Amino acid sequence: MRYLPFMLKSALRNVRRFVLTVLSVAVSLFMFCTLMTVLSELERENPSEVAHLRLVVRRATSLADPLPEGYRAKLAAVPGVRLVTPLTWFGGLYIDDRNFFANFASEPATLLAVFPESTTGPAQFEAFQRDRTGALVGRGLAEQFGWKVGDRVTLLGTIYPVDMELTIRALYDNDLDDRGFFFHRDYLEEALGRPGRVGTFWLLAEAPHQLPRIAETVDAMFRNTDAETKTETERAFQLSFVAMLGNVKSLIVSICTMVVLTILLVTANTIAMTIRERAREIAVLKTLGFRRRTILAMLIGEAVGIAVAGGLVGSLGARVLYQAVDLSKLLQGFFPLFEVTLQTICLALLIAAAIGVLSAGIPAWRAARIPVAEALRRVG
Amino acid sequence: MKIPLKYNIRNLLVRRTSTAMTVLGIAAVVAVFIGLNALSRGLQEAFVSSGEPDNVIVLRQGAQVETSSAVTRQGLHIIRYLDGIAATEQGEPLVSPEVVALVNLRRRADNEPANVLVRGLSPHGYALRQGLRIVAGRSPRPGRRELMVGERMAERFQDLGLGERVRLAKGHWTVVGIFDAGRTAFASEIWGDALEIAEEFDRAEFSSVLMRTTGPAAQAAVIRRIREDQRLHLKPLAEPAYYEEQTRSAAPIKVLGGFIATLMAIGACFAVMNTMYAAVAWRGREIATLQVLGFGRRSILASFFLESLLLAAAGGLLGCALALPIHGISTGTANWRTFSEVVFAFRITPDLLLRGFLFALGMGALGGILPARLAARTVIVRSLRAV
Repeated sequence: MRYLPFMLKSALRNVRRFVLTVLSVAVSLFMFCTLMTVLSELERENPSEVAHLRLVVRRATSLADPLPEGYRAKLAAVPGVRLVTPLTWFGGLYIDDRNFFANFASEPATLLAVFPESTTGPAQFEAFQRDRTGALVGRGLAEQFGWKVGDRVTLLGTIYPVDMELTIRALYDNDLDDRGFFFHRDYLEEALGRPGRVGTFWLLAEAPHQLPRIAETVDAMFRNTDAETKTETERAFQLSFVAMLGNVKSLIVSICTMVVLTILLVTANTIAMTIRERAREIAVLKTLGFRRRTILAMLIGEAVGIAVAGGLVGSLGARVLYQAVDLSKLLQGFFPLFEVTLQTICLALLIAAAIGVLSAGIPAWRAARIPVAEALRRVG
Repeated sequence: MKIPLKYNIRNLLVRRTSTAMTVLGIAAVVAVFIGLNALSRGLQEAFVSSGEPDNVIVLRQGAQVETSSAVTRQGLHIIRYLDGIAATEQGEPLVSPEVVALVNLRRRADNEPANVLVRGLSPHGYALRQGLRIVAGRSPRPGRRELMVGERMAERFQDLGLGERVRLAKGHWTVVGIFDAGRTAFASEIWGDALEIAEEFDRAEFSSVLMRTTGPAAQAAVIRRIREDQRLHLKPLAEPAYYEEQTRSAAPIKVLGGFIATLMAIGACFAVMNTMYAAVAWRGREIATLQVLGFGRRSILASFFLESLLLAAAGGLLGCALALPIHGISTGTANWRTFSEVVFAFRITPDLLLRGFLFALGMGALGGILPARLAARTVIVRSLRAV
């Protein structure tokens, strides 16, 4: 557009106002992007194909109650189930409860077969399998505590009345989450006197379409027994934890709405002020022959430009900041990935553009309609 | 010479739209600030006001919460008759061994499942918790699969209304009473008889033991005695201390709240700055006239600064008014320590409202100081000539 240089000049005429408006839009959209990313990260889906083949079997009454060890054979016999691995949340403490991380009693032989996204060197894995007091630790977690292969780590039991003295034998890598800690459930069972209990069973199915049928079969198999089961896909299991947070989603959505409305007010305010001050100028433009439509377009275009500039600073700033800062370390591994997606950025820019249009709309329309003679008479 | 306040007020009223929008912007920030604080305060208070000062709760050594603790009958037998434990009129020790379990129930609002804490109390358990009131029905009788439910839980979850039947682990139980536990953690619980609940959830041992001691000195002595006994492997604490530890689950919300409030405040400061800079620019001639009339630079600075404070004060008051309706609204979230749902209500206190108002004034001050300085530095001749 050939009026672009003029629009730019008008926008930058009062540099301080331009900077302040851009900054306030930027700060608000920065927060918007952060909150939207929190929402999307909470519900982030595991992109690997294997994740779509996994089911988790737990006690129907609650996740905190155990299942009998003996269920394992029956689960393996269900048609469509390729592998079964037991996994029990140990909930052990490392020194004190500020160093929180997930630790599990597992079965090494089948663990990585059901979770192939986690990879480790074959020599290390064998060492882990052979040593009953060995531990398999995620690389991210090991880096946080400065652990190396061969280090001894003691986990204090909180749920179970025993402490586990372990030696790190292997480190594993996983794109999505490398902050886990796994040891032999055999070791825990022996320390507890062999009660034969498992927290959850994870099943690897042959094909995705079989999941619902397998889930039904398993739950029907154990209905009306002492330990009824609840079987669901890995994704449903993940989402049930998010549901535990209660109305977090609606809270975040309502805060985002308030944020957007506040930005709208602020920007509308500034732009309206600017347009009112320019009544004289607009009159001069009209005498020069510019049509009302063109003037309107220029004013709105300028407003959109300022708002989108703020939107770019805010959303790209958020993306860059969260890439540079490793949030998972600050939040103890709660958000292993915190990526402001392109989708969120586009949404933020769209909101910015809308804000530009809405804030400039009415004042610009009114200003363009003032009769020339009256506008020229205006002082200031 | 001071510029009269009327001047500032009039100016704000003349530029009505501008003033209104800035005030609304500040009000929104203050409302969010108060809302988030009310949320975290409500969550925190759900725990801190739980527990009687003279009570001692006993868990397994190393356990952090009742849900992962177990106390053997042997241990119970030993600690039951210790010196310093209060007794009933009949001479029985005021001791309540309790069983705690989690059950998955569906919420009424969104049909989503959540873990709910079920507590089996022994007969003395009711006497040990004095702030409780039965608002409907009666307390459960042992042997009849009866339950008593916190008021908010009855509203929030399916099948927990008075007279309704709810399925626990092995079968259906009837809700015979609703109690009001005020702002304590017990408001998020379902209560039944200890032995029946143990049977229902296949518990061989009790989860915890609650005892009343005769006074602070006795309490300290009992705690020491239990802790030092090597046979027992138990962890005794004063009941209020146990619940206070759990307030740490409110920490993430506090952090999030603080973060959001700070960012919004920064945005609002920019808004105030913008408005005031525009005001200064618009009134260039006026300021010069004021200076000609004899008002000094300091008075002008003070005047403009005061104007931003007035704007902010109006915004603060409006924000407080906007936030007030959420007081008392109850909601729930997860207590990650006990792994169960905790129901609590938004709590707005007068001091929170005051803090919100001062927060607004702070924003006004930060946003207004620079424009006020600019106003004070106006050069008379240049401003008078400006059109």
